[in-house]
Amino acid sequence: MGRISDLLNFGPISPFRLRTKLLLLALTTLALPWAGCQYAREMETVLRESEQQSLLAVATTVAGSLKGRQELLFRADSLPALDGVNSRDITPVVLSGAPLIDGRADEWDTNARSLVRVAGPGGDGLRLLAATHERWLYLALLVHDDKVVYDSSEMTPLDSATIGDRIWLAFDDKRGGQQRLFFGSTGAGTVRARRIETREYGREEAVEEPRIEAVWQRARDGYVLEIGIPLSLVGQRVGVLIDDRDRRGAARTSYGTLDVADLRATGRLIAASPDLNDHLKQFSQPGVELTVASSTGAVLTRLDAPALPGDYTGMRGFLPRMYRLFLDGGAIPRNVSQAERARATQALTARAARGTPQSTLFAGPYENRVIVAAAAPIFGADGKQVIGVIQLAQTADRWLTLRDRALTRLLNLTLFVTLFAVGAAFWFAGRMTLRISRLGAASETALSREGSVSRVLPEERAKDELGDLSRSFSSLLGRLDEYTGYLRTLAGKLAHEIRTPLTIIRSSLENLESEAQSSNGLGDNAKVYIARAREGSERLAAILTAMGAATKVEEAIAHSERQRFDLTALVRTAVAAYGSAFPQRQFACEIPADPVEMTGAPDLIVQMLDKLVDNAVDFSAEGATISVVLRAEGAHAELSVANPGPPLPAEAHKRLFESLWQSRAEADKRPHFGLGLYIVRLIAEFHGGTAQAANLADNSGAIFSVRLAR
Amino acid sequence: MKKTIAIVEDERAIRDNYAAAFSREGYAVRGYANRRDAMAAFAARLPDLAVIDISLEDEPEGGFELCRELRGLSAELPIIFLTARDSELDAVSGLRLGADDFLTKDLSLAHLIARVNALFRRVDALRRPAEEKQVIRRGALTLDSERMSVEWNGQVVLLSLTEFWIVYALTKHPGHVKNRQQLMDAANVVLDDNTITSHIKRIRRKFQVVDEKFDAVHTVYGMGYRWVE
Repeated sequence: MGRISDLLNFGPISPFRLRTKLLLLALTTLALPWAGCQYAREMETVLRESEQQSLLAVATTVAGSLKGRQELLFRADSLPALDGVNSRDITPVVLSGAPLIDGRADEWDTNARSLVRVAGPGGDGLRLLAATHERWLYLALLVHDDKVVYDSSEMTPLDSATIGDRIWLAFDDKRGGQQRLFFGSTGAGTVRARRIETREYGREEAVEEPRIEAVWQRARDGYVLEIGIPLSLVGQRVGVLIDDRDRRGAARTSYGTLDVADLRATGRLIAASPDLNDHLKQFSQPGVELTVASSTGAVLTRLDAPALPGDYTGMRGFLPRMYRLFLDGGAIPRNVSQAERARATQALTARAARGTPQSTLFAGPYENRVIVAAAAPIFGADGKQVIGVIQLAQTADRWLTLRDRALTRLLNLTLFVTLFAVGAAFWFAGRMTLRISRLGAASETALSREGSVSRVLPEERAKDELGDLSRSFSSLLGRLDEYTGYLRTLAGKLAHEIRTPLTIIRSSLENLESEAQSSNGLGDNAKVYIARAREGSERLAAILTAMGAATKVEEAIAHSERQRFDLTALVRTAVAAYGSAFPQRQFACEIPADPVEMTGAPDLIVQMLDKLVDNAVDFSAEGATISVVLRAEGAHAELSVANPGPPLPAEAHKRLFESLWQSRAEADKRPHFGLGLYIVRLIAEFHGGTAQAANLADNSGAIFSVRLAR
Repeated sequence: MKKTIAIVEDERAIRDNYAAAFSREGYAVRGYANRRDAMAAFAARLPDLAVIDISLEDEPEGGFELCRELRGLSAELPIIFLTARDSELDAVSGLRLGADDFLTKDLSLAHLIARVNALFRRVDALRRPAEEKQVIRRGALTLDSERMSVEWNGQVVLLSLTEFWIVYALTKHPGHVKNRQQLMDAANVVLDDNTITSHIKRIRRKFQVVDEKFDAVHTVYGMGYRWVE
C-alpha cells in the first residue's frame, strides 16, 4: 500500500507542474504567428519582386513601343548622343507645375545640368535655363551685364538710336521656317516679343507676337528675362542671343546660342515630341509615374501618377502598426534625403541607358513609403543604339497594403488560435489533473488501513488511458481484495477443516475411556496418557473455537437486529459482572448520569466490551484498576477501557485492530489469535464507529477507545 | 427390543466411534455413509432415531435432503443433526426441516448420549398420557419436562431439544440469572457466546410467533439471562 501511494503521490505542487507543462506546450502555438510573419515576409518579397518584374515588364513594353521611333521621342531631328555634346542644345527640365513668369530667377534651379552658359565680352555672360510644363516651354535668361542699357524703342523699334540691350529668340517652326523674335530691355515688367517683317517695298516692320509671354526684370548684376512659349510654335531648334550695348544706339556685342550672322537657331531643343505624351498615356496606370529620359539622362517628359483608388492608402490602427514594426526588418533604408533619391534615380537611368533594363527599390519621400522603380532602354531602329530611357516609378503602397491586410488577418487569426489553444490546453490540463488526482486519491483510500478494499474507482468507464489505468487498479484491488478475503476467512476455514479429525480423536478417546472403565483393562499409566491426550484435544478445540470466533462474530453481525437501548445501563451491569468475573482486578466505572440511548445490537456491544476488558485484564498486573469510561458526545458515544501496564509497541497503534495481529510479550496458556481487537473493530464498525488504541499520557498503560454512532 | 439408531456420516472413523458409544449404551446401531444407502434402508425399515451429518460424500447438503425425506416418512422420528458445520444459517435450515436438535461435533459423546436418551424418553412420554407432576406452570407458560413440550397461552411453541433445555433451566427458578455456563450445563452442550445468543434469540422469536408481546427472557449484560414473569 505504501508503494502504491508513493507512486501516486500527487503533492500540492505536482498538479500545477502538469498544468504548467501543458501550458508551455500550448505556448508553442505562438510559433504560428512567427511562421505567419515569415510567410508574410516571403509573400512580401514575392510581391515586391513580382511588382518589380511587372513594372520592368511595363517599362520594357513602353520602351518597345518607342523602339526606333526617334521622331516620337524627340523634337530634334538627330540624336544628341549621336552628334556628341552640343553646348548650344537646350535641354529643358520637365516641371510638375507651371512656373510663374515674373522675371525672377529664384524659382529656377541654377545648378541644373541643363544650364547652358555662354560667355560674353568682358565679364558678361548668359546663363540659359529651360523647362517645360505641359504644352509650354519656359526659358529663363540670367544675363550678367555690367551696364544695363534700357531699350526705348517701344514706339520706334527699328530706330537704331533708341535700341539698348536686346535679346533675340529664334526657333524653327513646324513648317521649317525660321522665327526670329526680339525683346527689348524696356524695364521691369512684361516685354513683348517682336518680329521684324519685311513688307512691300522692303519696308520693315516690327510685329508683336502675342502668343509668347515674357517678363524682364532687373537683377543685381544684370537682368533676367523669363519667357513662356507655347511648344506648338517651336520646332526642333531653339536659341537665344544677347545684343549687348554700352549705350543706346551703340554698336552691339552679340553672344548666345544663335548664329550671330543670320540669327539662325543652331542649338537643338532636346525635348519630347508633342505626340509623346499622347503616346505614353495609353500606358498610364494608377499610381505609376512614367518618365522618358534621353540617353544622357535628361528628362524629356513625365506623366504624373494618376491617383490610386482609396483602398490602397495603407492600413491604420494599432495592430497593423505593431505588425509593420516588427516586419519591415530593415529591408529598405529609411529617411533618405531628396538628393540621395535623385541620385538613385539617376543611377537607375544611367544603367538603363547602357542597355540594361533594371528595377530597384528605394525609400519614398514619406514614412512607410517605398518606391519601386524600373527603367528600360529605348533602342534605336538598329536595335543597339540607346536613344532614350523609360523609367517607371510606383509607390509600393499597393503591395504594402496587400501585405498589411493579409498579415493583419493572419496575425489576428493566429493570435485568436493561440489564445484558444492556450485556453483549451489549460482547460484540458486542469481536467486531466483533476481526474488523475481524483484517481490517485481514490486508489490511495481504496485500500483501507484495516485491509478492506473498496473497488469502486473513478474513471472506470472512461475510454482513454486513464480509464485503462483505473481499470488496472480496479483489477489489482480486486485481486488484493480476494487475497485479503482469503486471509480473513482462512482461520474460520481452517477451524472447520480441523474439526473433523479432532472429532475423530476426541470420540476415540472417549470410547477408549469408556472401554477402560467398563473393563478395567487399562493401567494407571495408560489413564494418564489418555488424560493428556484429552487435555491436548480440549486445547485444540479451544484453539479452533478462538480461530472461528471472528467468523462467528461476522455471522452474528450479519444476522443481528438493531434496537434502541440505553448504553449506561448496559455498561453498568456489564462492569458489575466483570467485577465478579475477574476478582483479581479492580474496576472503576465512569458513566454519565443521564441515559445514553443508542441504536444497535446490545449483545454485540457487550461482546465488544468483553473483548476490551479481556484485553485489559491480560495486559495488567493483579490488583490493578481497570477503568471503563462512557461519554456521550453529540451523535456519538465513546466507550474506553484503560489499564495500567506496558505501553503499546510503536507499530501497534496502526495494526492492533487487524485480523490475526498480536503483540504479546510472552506465551500464554490461552490461545490468542489476535482476533479479540479485530472483533472489537468489527463491532464498532457495525455501529458506524471506529476503534483506537493509544498509550496513556504518562506511558503507564494503554487505553482502547471505541466511538459509536448513536 | 433394542432401539435402533441410524448414523448417517461419511467419515468412517467418526461413524464407528459413535456406533461404538451407542452400542455400549445398549442401542442397536446402523451406519450409512451416504444418502442413497440410508434412504434405501429407511424405506425398508425406519430406525428409532437418526443422527445425520449435513455433508455426505458427494452431496454437500445431502443431510438436509435426507432429513426432509425422512420427515416425509415419519413425523415423530427423532432426528439429530451432528455436523462440523456450525454456521447460524445451517442451524436455522436444519431446525426448520424438522430436526429435533442441531449439534456440532464439538459435543462430547457423553453429552450426545444424554440427548439421545432424552429424545427416546420424550418419545415414550408422548405415547403415555401427560402426567401433571412433570408440568411446570409459570403464568402463561406451560412446560412438560417429560414430553419436552412448551405451551404459551395454551399454544404450542415448537422448540429444539437444546432450546427446550435452556427454557427449562431459565424457568425452573424464575428471576434468577443463569449464566452461560449454567445454560450450557443444562443443555448438555458446550457453546460459545454467539451460539448461546443465537439460541436465546431463536427462543424469543419462537415465543413471539404465538405472542407478539412476549418479553419473558431478559438479558443481564455481562452475566447471563433470566426468566421474568
